[in-house]
Amino acid sequence: MITGTGITKTFKQRGSVLGAREVRALREVDFAIEPGGAVSFIGESGCGKTTLGRIIAGLETYDSGEIVIDGVPMSGLGHRRRQPHFRRIQLIHQDPYSALNPTRTIHQTLEAPLALRAKQTGRSRSWVDARAEELLGLVGIDPGYVLPRYPHQLSGGMRQRVVIARALTMDPEVLVADEAVSMIDVSLRLGILGLLKDLRVRLGVGVLFITHDIATARYLGDDSELYVLYRGQVVEHGPTETVITRPVHPYTQSLLSATPVLHGLEKPGAERVVPTEALDPSRTDEGCLFAPRCQFATQLCTEQRPRLSHDGTTLQEHACFHPRTRSVIPTGTGTETEMGADTLADTGADMGARG
Amino acid sequence: MTANPTAPAVRVRGLTVVYKTPVGELPAVSNVDLTLAPGTITGVVGESGSGKSTLALCLLNAVQSPGRIAAGSVEIDGLGDVVELGGEELRRARGRHVGYVFQAAQNSLNPLKTIGKQLLDLGRSHGVEDLRALVRDAKDLLARMGMDGARVLDSYQHELSGGMRQRVGIMLALVLNAKVVVLDEPTTALDMITQATILRIVREVHDERGLTTLVITHDVGAVAEVADNLAVMYGGRVVEHGPVMEVLGSPRHPYTRGLIRAIPRLSGDISLARALPGRPPTLGTLPAAGCVFRERCDRRMDVCDTVEPVPLTRDGRTVACHAVDAAADVDANAAPGVAAGAADRTPTTARRKEYA
Repeated sequence: MITGTGITKTFKQRGSVLGAREVRALREVDFAIEPGGAVSFIGESGCGKTTLGRIIAGLETYDSGEIVIDGVPMSGLGHRRRQPHFRRIQLIHQDPYSALNPTRTIHQTLEAPLALRAKQTGRSRSWVDARAEELLGLVGIDPGYVLPRYPHQLSGGMRQRVVIARALTMDPEVLVADEAVSMIDVSLRLGILGLLKDLRVRLGVGVLFITHDIATARYLGDDSELYVLYRGQVVEHGPTETVITRPVHPYTQSLLSATPVLHGLEKPGAERVVPTEALDPSRTDEGCLFAPRCQFATQLCTEQRPRLSHDGTTLQEHACFHPRTRSVIPTGTGTETEMGADTLADTGADMGARG
Repeated sequence: MTANPTAPAVRVRGLTVVYKTPVGELPAVSNVDLTLAPGTITGVVGESGSGKSTLALCLLNAVQSPGRIAAGSVEIDGLGDVVELGGEELRRARGRHVGYVFQAAQNSLNPLKTIGKQLLDLGRSHGVEDLRALVRDAKDLLARMGMDGARVLDSYQHELSGGMRQRVGIMLALVLNAKVVVLDEPTTALDMITQATILRIVREVHDERGLTTLVITHDVGAVAEVADNLAVMYGGRVVEHGPVMEVLGSPRHPYTRGLIRAIPRLSGDISLARALPGRPPTLGTLPAAGCVFRERCDRRMDVCDTVEPVPLTRDGRTVACHAVDAAADVDANAAPGVAAGAADRTPTTARRKEYA
């Protein structure tokens, strides 16, 4: 179990012509990832979601707040004492093309961390090779095909699976997947998402999923949770399906409204919300952070900052003075049931490792 | 969505582009026919290696070595066959007749020059005499896209956000009054809200200026939002082409069906969604004969191994698939009055055996 309370991070930009400038990347963010749970963070670029992922993976410091990994608070520990804890959280990078060393075969890539793991746990050398094959099988690729090959000989989907297998060598408790499918071909994205969902069940590994594409967050499992970040603040949080189908914060509604509609297969939502101007992190911090872009903002919104809370009327928490459910997401036109009717073998993976 | 009569048509015929590799010349685009009706937006979707960007470059005759256009023509109204153009003629046509918005605008802008300087370079290289008018047009275009024109022209590319750079790219493609515009992955790497803004701008500017537009993308959603017609590419072929509503609403080619089913979506039943089995072909793994999609196809027949399916057009939809043809033929024989549209909806085992 990993929890964060009041995580705050400010980046300071030093002495350019404009003088020092502060960018508040995270503002008192609370979160919890249960063992085997799935949590998604969504938001635009610049909302702080990648910073949060890096902090959780131990790659970035935070100014205030507390991260607790399996009951151990991290802030009291020095760098060396933290490391074994943060090792239980492994990061999956966005770009499977640059995340693997091009001069090493997949066997070499997996062998190094596994040898370390064998040393740590007092296992023999023969365990390393067996474990490498086991992990590749787990992520749905044929070890015999992949192990002797170099990254450039594999497709994007296979590379991402290798990256996930490498992350699993450390027996992690949580995988942090930062935009892990945005560079994967569309036809294979669901395969990777399905794999993450599968790993939750089979290994009890938690998934922290960071994305700007909200739709992908739906595919991590029914019990997943969604956090919506805006300029470093969580503005809406709840069960993924609830937040998507019954969003109450105008920012969440803007994000959902911006998702393209598959005309012919879907009809646009009736109350789509379009935010008024582009994100400018340098603007003043008075009142609700989203108020300058919000068409529903009132006097109150410019004076006070709403806090994330349950108001009892919705299943999710939100930070909005005027919460209202709006139907912003597209609705299906009914043709898809027909499409789904003829069965298609669900191999669900790009394991077709033909030479 | 009224088609503008002054917009040019683009006719791609028998286009084949080959890349030289150690194992010989391999086709990235193979015998493609594609017509862009005047005044329409056509979206080309395909995964990596489908040949969609290569096809787009052919509209400028800009395929780089080791690639070359081996056969075919690209006829643009008012310009002629682009494949036949060369040297000075070709240079003048680019930008003047065909505007191109490159993938990742940040990489196509010069980091050392302000946007305004680059605009003037563009004007001079095309012999524009009234540069003031050019700057005025550029400012108008930028203002049209919701930006402060004067400020943007004085900026370097690093001072602009991704969405702003993309708009600058669109401005540079349109400022010489090109009537054919190609956008290569216009929204990749932009976040959702910026993407929606850019797509709306593309649609509006297209309508206002009477353009014929080609949008290349891997993102079916982005195309669905703006395009009138949709062409689906796979392994260097256009496997399905038709009005976007129809192609998405009732896809016929097994690849299109699988692709649509594989898109992560906000609406619809999650349990019906699934990834396509197998993986996209690369130049080296493309089969030499037969259908390029057969390895991943749920309606594969024996004939698919040996004979490449020919694109056939029925009621405005073009599909290249043996299974779809077979089903349509059966329906046509059984009930001559029935529209072929319903033909592919019943791929029963019995029918598949009949053609196996």
